[in-house]
Amino acid sequence: MTTAPKPRDFFEASAAGAADHELHRKLENASARHLDHFAQVRDEFTPYEDERNTARAIKEDAIGRLDELLIELTKKLEAHGCKVFFAANAGEARDYIVKLAQTSGARRVVKGKSMTTEEIALNPALEAAGMEVVETDLGEYIVQLRHEPPSHIITPAIHLSKEDIGNLFHEKFGIPYTPEPAELTAEARIRLRESFLRADFGITGVNFAIAETGTLIVVENEGNGRMSSTLPEVFVAVMGIEKVIAKLADLPHFLEILGRTATGQKLTTYTNFIRGPRAPGELDGPREMHVVILDNGRSAMLADPVLREALMCIRCGACLNVCPVYRHIGGHAYRSPYPGPIGSIISPNLVGSAAAQLPFASTLCGACKDICPVKIDIPRILLHLRWKETSSPAPLEWPGAARRARAGARRFARMARHPRTMRILGRIAATMLKPLARDGWIRRMPPPFGNWTKIRDFPRPRPRRRRAVESQDAKG
Amino acid sequence: MAELHKLVATLKTALEAGAPNPAAHDAAKHAAVPLAPDGDRAELVARFARELEAVGGRFLGTFTPAEAIDRIVALARETNPRLVAIGDGVAADAGALATALDAAGIDVMRTAPTTDSDARAAIRDRFSRAEIGIAEADYAIASTGTLAVLSMPSRPSSLTLLAPASVIFVQIDRIVPDLAAALEAFGPDTLAAHRMTLITGPSRTADIEKRIVLGVHGPKSLDVLVVWPHDD
Repeated sequence: MTTAPKPRDFFEASAAGAADHELHRKLENASARHLDHFAQVRDEFTPYEDERNTARAIKEDAIGRLDELLIELTKKLEAHGCKVFFAANAGEARDYIVKLAQTSGARRVVKGKSMTTEEIALNPALEAAGMEVVETDLGEYIVQLRHEPPSHIITPAIHLSKEDIGNLFHEKFGIPYTPEPAELTAEARIRLRESFLRADFGITGVNFAIAETGTLIVVENEGNGRMSSTLPEVFVAVMGIEKVIAKLADLPHFLEILGRTATGQKLTTYTNFIRGPRAPGELDGPREMHVVILDNGRSAMLADPVLREALMCIRCGACLNVCPVYRHIGGHAYRSPYPGPIGSIISPNLVGSAAAQLPFASTLCGACKDICPVKIDIPRILLHLRWKETSSPAPLEWPGAARRARAGARRFARMARHPRTMRILGRIAATMLKPLARDGWIRRMPPPFGNWTKIRDFPRPRPRRRRAVESQDAKG
Repeated sequence: MAELHKLVATLKTALEAGAPNPAAHDAAKHAAVPLAPDGDRAELVARFARELEAVGGRFLGTFTPAEAIDRIVALARETNPRLVAIGDGVAADAGALATALDAAGIDVMRTAPTTDSDARAAIRDRFSRAEIGIAEADYAIASTGTLAVLSMPSRPSSLTLLAPASVIFVQIDRIVPDLAAALEAFGPDTLAAHRMTLITGPSRTADIEKRIVLGVHGPKSLDVLVVWPHDD
């Protein structure tokens, strides 16, 4: 396995993704399959549209009174015997969990899939403290074996083909090469089962937390969340403050909509209702249960009237699957556990300045908004974040290529204000470009425009008469 | 609790600062929408069976309690398991089933509560070697082919998780139309007091090229029987 040098910023990383045609093929395949599954269950229970409105209203209500709901949730969880810890930032959450693992004498940690623990970079901290940490979601397990981060919220190894994974297992485990998903899964089952049975410390994320009953909901398909929360003696659930909803009766709306949009299922295979440590006499369930409730930039999003809407996200990953940018550059280019459209609006707050460029990486086509189960207006928030960034006293340092592109856009804007110059230049350009066109498209242009055609085609200039008519129309 | 107070103070400030313009959305229009009228039992059973099979489970049919025992014993014999684990039932008598399996020469372990940690470890160790786990579900949900199972000292969650083959039965009058109805049937108090799992098909993954594979961590197979309340 060869590892490319680490990209310095989003531009380098996205350029690498954009040039990787193999990656496009994998992402297109996976996205198509996902959208196909989604189409089959889209209007299964109630029309998707109605369900979205309902889910959004519930979430909006909950976000609007996070303070009281979190108090209620905490009281209930504590009454069930949980220890609840509030972490203002990633560091506090990490320190608490590492210290807890140390004091409880843990050596072997199993984790269910959790983007929040990726956000706080928990694994390196636990490993530095001498723990063995095993990601047990199959996709997470695969990317952990490759020492790389997940590239999709729902399907962490979406950037890998079955052949890639076959080779990985062959190299790591010395088993005969096979690209068969069923055989690869069977191999992982045996290895991970051993990890589960030996583990003394389990960690999962949380999909929803019900204030009314003090119940944490962990949604999954494989059983990794069940195992991680049932078998080890100490269990820690990590959740963002925005996961809380008011009532048990609110839950069905979200479960039905999350299954549909995330994986095209009516309901995911396992929905765990977890309330606390085991009762006396019980054979399974943890002896000790901790809940870490994480702020880490979320209250700042709450304080921003436009950005607040992003807290409604239920992490279904649907916006990634429909996003032309994500499908072109892949999840790793975002360099955040939250890639894609939703990642571009939440990462700047949750993972910090490294993600400040992300709101600019969008065509604003709106496909994300159209599919979002809680109707988050992602394009609007992207524009808001761009505005915030460009009007901030210390705007971003852009790399050379981006600076040159912006300077070019400014020059174009100046030119476009003078119709006559524009017309003359347009005629010259059209005459020069015409011989380069094949089948209506120009695939290569001379410098300095060659950078454009390196990754996209340019349309052939249209006949003069049509342009003239359009400009007449424009004059009204 | 100091951190909680600190966080709540932060949240209050943030809520005030970021209050969006009113209107936009009418909050709390969330009455549950039943997906089918609570019709005929037969219809519920049929819908449940169809949905269960759609997610890779196997519907064995409806049986009287005596027939159900025979069917489970026959099922266990097919695979000739080294060990079968059974938890206490919800409405059914697990003892009769255990006796029948035992009589058929199958090694059976019944999960019993214990507070002794060594005993617990020993039971868990044996438990993890069971090849079939048998449990009774509290409810079945027709619209999604789902089984809802509460965890109890004598009916641990591992029962439907560790063994590669899972056999679950449910009383016919405990099949409800949808998830909302199941949650309502449990009531908030029950769910606040126990761990509960909704099971919709065998364990599954689509993490490799979005291709579906059954039996990742949990059971590879899920067989479900519906039981009539009487033997007449």
